[in-house]
Amino acid sequence: MDDLVNKRINEVLKGNQDAFEEIVTLFQHRLYHICYRMLNNAQEAEDIAQEAFVRAYINIHTFDQKRKFSTWLFRIATNLCIDRIRKKKPDYYLDANVPGTEGLTMYSQIAADDELPEDKVEQMETQERIHYEIGKLPDKYRSVIILRYIEELPLQEIGDILELPLGTVKTRVHRGRAALRKQLSNL
Amino acid sequence: MNTCPEQIVHNMHAYLDGDISPDDELQLNKHLAECVECRMLMEELSIPITFIRKAESVQAPIGFVDGVMARLPKEKPQAGVQR
Repeated sequence: MDDLVNKRINEVLKGNQDAFEEIVTLFQHRLYHICYRMLNNAQEAEDIAQEAFVRAYINIHTFDQKRKFSTWLFRIATNLCIDRIRKKKPDYYLDANVPGTEGLTMYSQIAADDELPEDKVEQMETQERIHYEIGKLPDKYRSVIILRYIEELPLQEIGDILELPLGTVKTRVHRGRAALRKQLSNL
Repeated sequence: MNTCPEQIVHNMHAYLDGDISPDDELQLNKHLAECVECRMLMEELSIPITFIRKAESVQAPIGFVDGVMARLPKEKPQAGVQR
C-alpha cells in the first residue's frame, strides 16, 4: 500500500491535485474513526478529519517517503484533535446552552465532560456506553487507548504518532487501562 | 493472596500492552493454564480492553472525500519547492 501511496504523492507533488483524492479515499474511514473517538462528536470529527487531509495536502512536500504515510497523517489528525479538545474546554458551559443540534445523533450529543447519573449509564446500549466511557477518559490516556485498542497499532507506532517516547506510551496505556477499569467498576 | 512470581504479573501487563516477547508469552500461557488465581487476575485486567474492543468501526460520512477536495487550496502545493 505504501508504494501506491508514494506513487500518488509524487503525482500530487507534480501538481496533479486529483491524485490526492485517491489518498483521501484510502484513509478516510480510519482517520475519521480516530477523530470521532478522540472528539466524541460526529460533526467535529468530520471537520477535523477533513482539515487533517487539507494540512497533509499543503505540507505534502515535507513528508519523508521512507516513512509510513499513515503515521504522518495520524499525527496531523491527533494534534488537531488535541488542539480542539483544549480549545473546547473553557467554552463548555457556553456550548451547553446552544440548542443548534439538528441532525446530530444521540451519541454526538453526549458531551465528553458530562457526568451522567449511574442509573442512566446502566441503561445505555453498548455502543453508546463505549462512546460515553471513552469520552470520560482524560485526553492523554484517550489518545493512546484509541490507537492501541481500537486501531490496534503497536506501541512504537503510537509513540511515532504522538511524538512520545516508548516508555511514556507504555505508562499511558497502562494508566489508561486502569482509569477505564475504574470507570467501569463505579457502576 | 497471590504468591506467584512478580514476573508473571509483569508479563500480563506486557501482554495486554501488546508488547510481550514470544518466550514470555509462552511462559505466561503455561502459567495461566495451571494457576486459577492468575487466570482470574488476567481476566480482571482484561475487562477494559474487552469492553473497548466492542466499539464498532465508524465510517466517514458520505461526501467526505468531496468535502476534502473542495477544501483544498486551488494551486498546487509547491511552497516548499519554491523556497
